[in-house]
Amino acid sequence: MTNGTWRYPSLYWCFLLQRFKILMEYRANFFIGAASTVAMQASGVLTVWVVMSQIPNLKGWDFNEVLLVYGLITLARSLNHMFADNLWTVGHYYIRGGGFDRFLVRPLNPLFHLLADRFCHDGIGDFLVGALLVAKAITGLRLAFTLPLFAYLALGTVGGGLIFASLNLITATSAFWIVESVPVTRSVFELNEFAKYPLGIYPKSITILLTWVIPFGFASYYPASAITGRLTDTPPWLIVPVAIGLALIAYRVWLFGLAHYTGTGS
Amino acid sequence: MTGITLARRRSRAGLYWAIASLVPKLMLTYRSWFWTDLFTQTLAMIISVAFWRAVFAASVTVGGIGYQQTISYILLALVLTPLVQNDLIYTFGRLAYDGSIAVELTRPVDFQAAQFTLTMAGVAFNTLTRLPLLALGVLAFGLRLPGDPLAYVCFTVSLVLGGTLLFFFDWMLACLAFFTTEVWGLAVLRFGLAAFLSGSLIPLAMMPQALRAVCAALPFAQAVYVPLSFLTGLQDLAGAPRILLTQAAWTLALAVLSRFVFRAASRRAVVQGG
Repeated sequence: MTNGTWRYPSLYWCFLLQRFKILMEYRANFFIGAASTVAMQASGVLTVWVVMSQIPNLKGWDFNEVLLVYGLITLARSLNHMFADNLWTVGHYYIRGGGFDRFLVRPLNPLFHLLADRFCHDGIGDFLVGALLVAKAITGLRLAFTLPLFAYLALGTVGGGLIFASLNLITATSAFWIVESVPVTRSVFELNEFAKYPLGIYPKSITILLTWVIPFGFASYYPASAITGRLTDTPPWLIVPVAIGLALIAYRVWLFGLAHYTGTGS
Repeated sequence: MTGITLARRRSRAGLYWAIASLVPKLMLTYRSWFWTDLFTQTLAMIISVAFWRAVFAASVTVGGIGYQQTISYILLALVLTPLVQNDLIYTFGRLAYDGSIAVELTRPVDFQAAQFTLTMAGVAFNTLTRLPLLALGVLAFGLRLPGDPLAYVCFTVSLVLGGTLLFFFDWMLACLAFFTTEVWGLAVLRFGLAAFLSGSLIPLAMMPQALRAVCAALPFAQAVYVPLSFLTGLQDLAGAPRILLTQAAWTLALAVLSRFVFRAASRRAVVQGG
């Protein structure tokens, strides 16, 4: 067994291989699952396309620019979908049935075990759609593929993915007390719908909410503004401290919840 | 009609009434979902209104439709769409997964009629839970309802027909659960396609001709766009008899077809045994 730094990455790789073996046993399901999220995204994108083809711009943002915002939030969400989807099921699947106790008696970080237990292949479709939308937007806007452009895209995607996962972790922790945490997680998660469009179309209060309270704006609006040469009150690089800070807070909240876990007795 | 036949029919009606009365009990168990739904749907209303305001800031009409009509349509679609969604794909998936389909088919009640009763009772119950959202749409977001009572009659008949024909269509789709063994992806795929093709996200009248033709050829719009077009004035009430008759024909054809498809699919069903 590998020790030290590479222990967890190599363990994750082992979990991932096992997961793909399961998925490959049900190939039709694998492809239906990956395609299903494409259909979900296609509905939203088609709506934007139909509407934007009939108007010149959306509060100063043209079709390709709106597509960039849409694509960036899709990319960030897809990372969460692939690697942290199990946070949705921690209450009703693991805690309710007593399966969570299994994580506590193994020589592994329970959060790592929970996340590694199920890579969600549905997120692959999401990722591909997001990448396609961003590529289409960049090409349509005739932007050169420069280092700052890649940096904003990477920061938006990875930092955004971390923001999604951190918020889901905070809300999923409620499962240690109320078991069924999905309504709580969903209430916060659904706020990401705002970040599919430029925040400038909303009242100021929503922009503040999506920047400083539930910071999904950093995943899409701020990097897209920087890429398209727009000046915003909030600098886009703030995503780095915001994402890392939120992840640390989320982990502390998780540890607090874990310390109060008593099991359901089932 | 003999006394025995009448008694049998009464007991049969009582049986379906008993099935229907299970629905409120089931749904009241998940009260937290009601509040989550109300919250997320309120967010959806805020987003939709902001989006369409920005759209209409750039153009007086889109696809020949003005702001007020669009907002009323979009908000009504938000309230209505969850009503015409059913759980058939998940139900079939569960029955095929744990093998309980074998038990269901041996019960002394028609399986499809029982599921139809459950679905329709769910719609009736959920209609009540959607009323606060409708009120919110009217009071806070500028949703305007028509004054003509005939519009409500056409809407209700069209909605019942649309919901029924969609049930039969989904019944056939759910039969795929006997072959694919896992249904989450299938359900998400259907939901994703229906979101656009039913007219839940934008009125069909705004779409290019080719897309409208695709939507018209599929059943999804019959349960959302068609009923809502009566309520929002997108469809002239004079054309109602023709539209409602077409919906009735769809319903009849899909009802017959769904029985054949289920019979053929269930013969091939291989349960997994949990």
